Amino acid sequence: MSSLRSKSAQDISDLLDEYGIKHGPVVDSTRSLYEKKLKEAMAKGKKGKPSPDKTYYREEEEEVTYEYRTPVRSDGAGDSGSYMRSRPEWSEREFEHETSYSSYLRSKPEYRGKDFVDEPAMYDTPSTYRNSYLNSTPMKSQDAPKAPKSSRLIPLWVQFAFFLAVAVFLYLVFSSMETNESLKGIE
Amino acid sequence: MSSTSQKHRDFVAEPMGEKPVMALAGIGEVLGKRLEEKGFDKAYVVLGQFLVLKKDEELFRDWLKDTCGANVKQQGDCYGCLKEWCDAFL
Repeated sequence: MSSLRSKSAQDISDLLDEYGIKHGPVVDSTRSLYEKKLKEAMAKGKKGKPSPDKTYYREEEEEVTYEYRTPVRSDGAGDSGSYMRSRPEWSEREFEHETSYSSYLRSKPEYRGKDFVDEPAMYDTPSTYRNSYLNSTPMKSQDAPKAPKSSRLIPLWVQFAFFLAVAVFLYLVFSSMETNESLKGIE
Repeated sequence: MSSTSQKHRDFVAEPMGEKPVMALAGIGEVLGKRLEEKGFDKAYVVLGQFLVLKKDEELFRDWLKDTCGANVKQQGDCYGCLKEWCDAFL
């Protein structure tokens, strides 16, 4: 493969097609350019080479992902099932959450594009909120969306609490201003 | 008309005929000399190369960079100039 110089123009052309490199006729003036491009493409490790195979592999990958998710769902359901016996009130909410989450997981392969980043982050809001209450829950099915969740530096409940604290503080300041003790001195 | 140079406008205004390679937008004295040394002494020879590369921007840019060391701006100017000429006369 390193002796590109010795290859015929037709071979160079075929190689360019294999790597998916758009090209014109391989003539004297273009040959060195195409040889250079082929060298770069080979150095990259045959990235674009199996182009007809790639689509097949992608479908396979999707299937694999889908299959991987289902055991997680049943595990989660099993966990919360055993959990239910110990603490009925909490696990009901959690189980509801788990089933809704798992039904969301089923539709996940569809959103493999940009939406994938947004949706788990959006959906995570109630889960993070519940996490603060259900501290002892294993929640291992949450591991996957936890990665995009880290885009939130400060969890939402902390933001709410901070907002309330600021509001209370401002109210105290305002109410202390109403007593008007110092004004008598000014008059 | 976007920001094209006078050189570009002059070149695109008429058939190139026997114009030297330095008449191309983006190709000055230094680059012109290098192209001439490689055998591309007239604008139409560079046009020939442009056409053999199927008027593809990326290929032409790469070729120009390899052949005479044109930078990104020079590549773009030359490509734009030839492309517009082809649109008008080819």
